[in-house]
Amino acid sequence: MSPEELDARIKAELPALAAPEGLRERVRLALRAEAHRPQRSYWVPLAAAAIVAVAVSGTWYVSSRSSERAELAQQVLASHLRSLQPGHLFDVQSNNTHNVKPWFNGKVNFSPPVPNPEPDSFPLVGGRLDYMHGRTVAALVYQRRLHVINVFVWPEGGSESVSERAENGYNEIYWKSGGWEYWVVSDLNRDELKKFVAEL
Amino acid sequence: MHEQDLIRFEAIALPHLDAAYTLARYLTRDPHDADDAVQEAFLRAMKYFGSYRGGDPKAWILAIVRNECRSKRLRGKEAKAEEFDDELHSDEGASADALALESDAKETVREALELLPAEFREVIVLREIQGLSYQEIADIVKAPIGTVMSRLSRGRARLEKTVKAGRA
Repeated sequence: MSPEELDARIKAELPALAAPEGLRERVRLALRAEAHRPQRSYWVPLAAAAIVAVAVSGTWYVSSRSSERAELAQQVLASHLRSLQPGHLFDVQSNNTHNVKPWFNGKVNFSPPVPNPEPDSFPLVGGRLDYMHGRTVAALVYQRRLHVINVFVWPEGGSESVSERAENGYNEIYWKSGGWEYWVVSDLNRDELKKFVAEL
Repeated sequence: MHEQDLIRFEAIALPHLDAAYTLARYLTRDPHDADDAVQEAFLRAMKYFGSYRGGDPKAWILAIVRNECRSKRLRGKEAKAEEFDDELHSDEGASADALALESDAKETVREALELLPAEFREVIVLREIQGLSYQEIADIVKAPIGTVMSRLSRGRARLEKTVKAGRA
């Protein structure tokens, strides 16, 4: 093979590639998340409560407790999937708890907790309103590498330890504590999602 | 980071996303690893944007992508401290068996490239696909220009040998 032949084969068989669909958007999202990252965050009381909740629950189990619960799980997943469509992820885009939390003022009749305990591993990227369970709820958006995590939260009495379920490759984790009901959903693997919840 | 800086960074860096992905894809040999490496490289580039002093932005981005892929690979090897030894990988040093194994029924240049040690692969991709100068490549792989040229020529020779052996 002459050097020219080798050149020709290299040219033909080692093409320059195009970045896959969506990579540009993911990179931009990650850049924005990083650029707007808050300097310091603190959410110790809630984090502590969540850790206790996780510890107390001891075992993780798939709940099939009630049809209402199953229906809610479907709604959570549907909202998550809808949020992933272009332009649906946030109404307010910021990594700063102090921007996201006040944004809900006057839009819902409660002021949701907006924790941001692990800005390096699970940066907060924004929030939006969503509709679920017959009411308007707060949706907080976090990120883990390329994975979007939605946290739905609304006021709900009672307390319930952490449970999880899996649906079509998506993981959902929910619990009630401190007057709030939380639903966390993502395509992130279960272990990392549990880690995220433990740090919330 | 200020919004203007972010916008300026995106304007300089994002046009090279395809080139970044191409390099990462050939270096990691895996689409998901390439995806991750590109994303991490762009985050790193933004972090060090303050120290970017002009020059060809493509070469700058590719240098960061290459380092990201390299540390990914080294982490994968559980940080086995192994320095690439150009002497060890000279053609005289490569045993006939190893070359035969490499060339086992591989007849496309693409497959042959994937079998090359990373140090050969990266100079070939940077030169043949990305069209960078020897000097730019030397800066990126942190090796003297003579080493770059010799890796390039030996890498090409290996490609050729593997492709030929596959066809035979």
